[in-house]
Amino acid sequence: SLHANDTLYSELAREVENGRLARLLMKLGTINERPEYEGDVNWSETSERYILKLFRDYVFHQVNAEGRPVLDMGHMVACLNKLDAGSQEKISLASRDEQSVFVVTYSEIKKQVNAAWSELQKPTRR
Amino acid sequence: MDGDWEEVGRLLLPPPGHNALPTPATAMGFDSSQELIWLGNEFGRVSSFYGTDLTRYTSFRAGEGAVRQLLFHEKGIIALCPRSVHMATRRGPPLWHIQHDEMKDLRCMSYTSKGASEILVAGLQDQMFTIDVDKGTITKQIPTNDHYTIMKRSRYICAATKGGSVNILDSVTFNLIKTWNAHSSLINDMDAQHDFIVTCGYSLRQQQSYMLDPLVNVFDLKNMISMSPIPFPAGAAYVRMHPRMSTTSIVVSQLGQMHIVDLMNVNTSNVRQANVLTYLSMVEIAPSGEAIALVDGESNLHLWGSPSRTRFAELSNPVEFAEPEETVQPLDWSVDTPLNSIGMPYYREQLLSAWPSHMIFEVGAPPPKIDPLLMASLKVTEWGGYGRNTRGMKRNQVENTRTTEKTSTCLQAPKFLSEKAREAANDASLERRI
Repeated sequence: SLHANDTLYSELAREVENGRLARLLMKLGTINERPEYEGDVNWSETSERYILKLFRDYVFHQVNAEGRPVLDMGHMVACLNKLDAGSQEKISLASRDEQSVFVVTYSEIKKQVNAAWSELQKPTRR
Repeated sequence: MDGDWEEVGRLLLPPPGHNALPTPATAMGFDSSQELIWLGNEFGRVSSFYGTDLTRYTSFRAGEGAVRQLLFHEKGIIALCPRSVHMATRRGPPLWHIQHDEMKDLRCMSYTSKGASEILVAGLQDQMFTIDVDKGTITKQIPTNDHYTIMKRSRYICAATKGGSVNILDSVTFNLIKTWNAHSSLINDMDAQHDFIVTCGYSLRQQQSYMLDPLVNVFDLKNMISMSPIPFPAGAAYVRMHPRMSTTSIVVSQLGQMHIVDLMNVNTSNVRQANVLTYLSMVEIAPSGEAIALVDGESNLHLWGSPSRTRFAELSNPVEFAEPEETVQPLDWSVDTPLNSIGMPYYREQLLSAWPSHMIFEVGAPPPKIDPLLMASLKVTEWGGYGRNTRGMKRNQVENTRTTEKTSTCLQAPKFLSEKAREAANDASLERRI
């Protein structure tokens, strides 16, 4: 029965992880690319939220040397986990035209997600 | 300059896009605390390059129009564009961005008496601003009669006007202390250090063409008098004071002839020739005095120094690079793959995935009905139907499907009179509330 208990625990851990990642993805999904941000200075290239767009590309839009999409779930889960925890690890983010290059920590991205998320929760914007 | 100085690095500036021509740099500077060279281009983009290999480090947009000047701060770098001032960390993410209606054509900036916590920005406009660097806010707006193109801070703030004179401003009150007429028509370059201001400029010859003056003018800030100029027959275009040898200056012609001259003894000079194919557009010396960067008209950056040891900053901190990505074992997309096969890193703070507890939603409402009118007007194709939006609502607007469902139920169980009365009362109260 101890063995059964262990199995239950590992099953539970699996499901807890799913919920955590699903909630994280929902947050990111609600924040990114909202049409009302079009023309908003906070999301322009000179401002802080810009790295959120680049992070989304970094996690989900990986490509290989031929430009083919790479669907590496391990990469996505690892990135999301580090974002969730706000790790101090630094990653390099590049814009689509490869003109901008940023070196940011996961904890900085987390801060921006939190700021954008709490802005969405406000009853009326501005 | 030591005997073994030579060109140690050369870089063709990256173009602003694929298949685009390289753009000339409009601002350049050596970082004061890391081994980085920073360049700004005419599209408002600031890029950094690491070490003598000039490997590309970070790059970001600082604003609209050409980057005019860069200043270095412990926390990041400040970039001046004609209509805005931008501060970003060396890794790229912005710290603040200031735009103001009175910022029309900013050209130059300088730290003030408050060390690195305040800057003064000015340009070809009637207003100057002081900015609190730590907070990222405008603290004061100062009207000015003169329009400035270059600013350097030493004992005072030395500001070059567009008419060839240098205004010496008090670095606390920004009052004009003295005006020094350095050149007859234009100042091309200026540097100030400790007790000296040195300038290169143009004068108008035969009333039609501008010619570089064959000398560098020198002003003594201690005694407030101009000193005898340094002769430079090739036409002095750029000048920098050596950061560690307080009376040594480096003068460069437009075609790359470099002279190292002691202001106290102008007759002995050390001459070098940079191998440039066109005219030079910018010259800068590193804070350590161990490197010089020259930018030419074809967007090449030439780095000069001693091959055995070339440092940029006096005390350099390591540059923060992105960590190499650890290899994660490949996961397949099968249903059996548990998502927890990749563990969480250690953490102390609240997780980002934490969902606020007050956000509770009712589930199970029926899906919104598609308007039958729309259904009728749809053009049906293989992948579905399409048509004009006839619903007078926003895209993705939330509908309360519960109430519509209630009213449209046509088949109802017969009710007792008492029940009907109660329902009517309930409905009325609902109406009132709405």
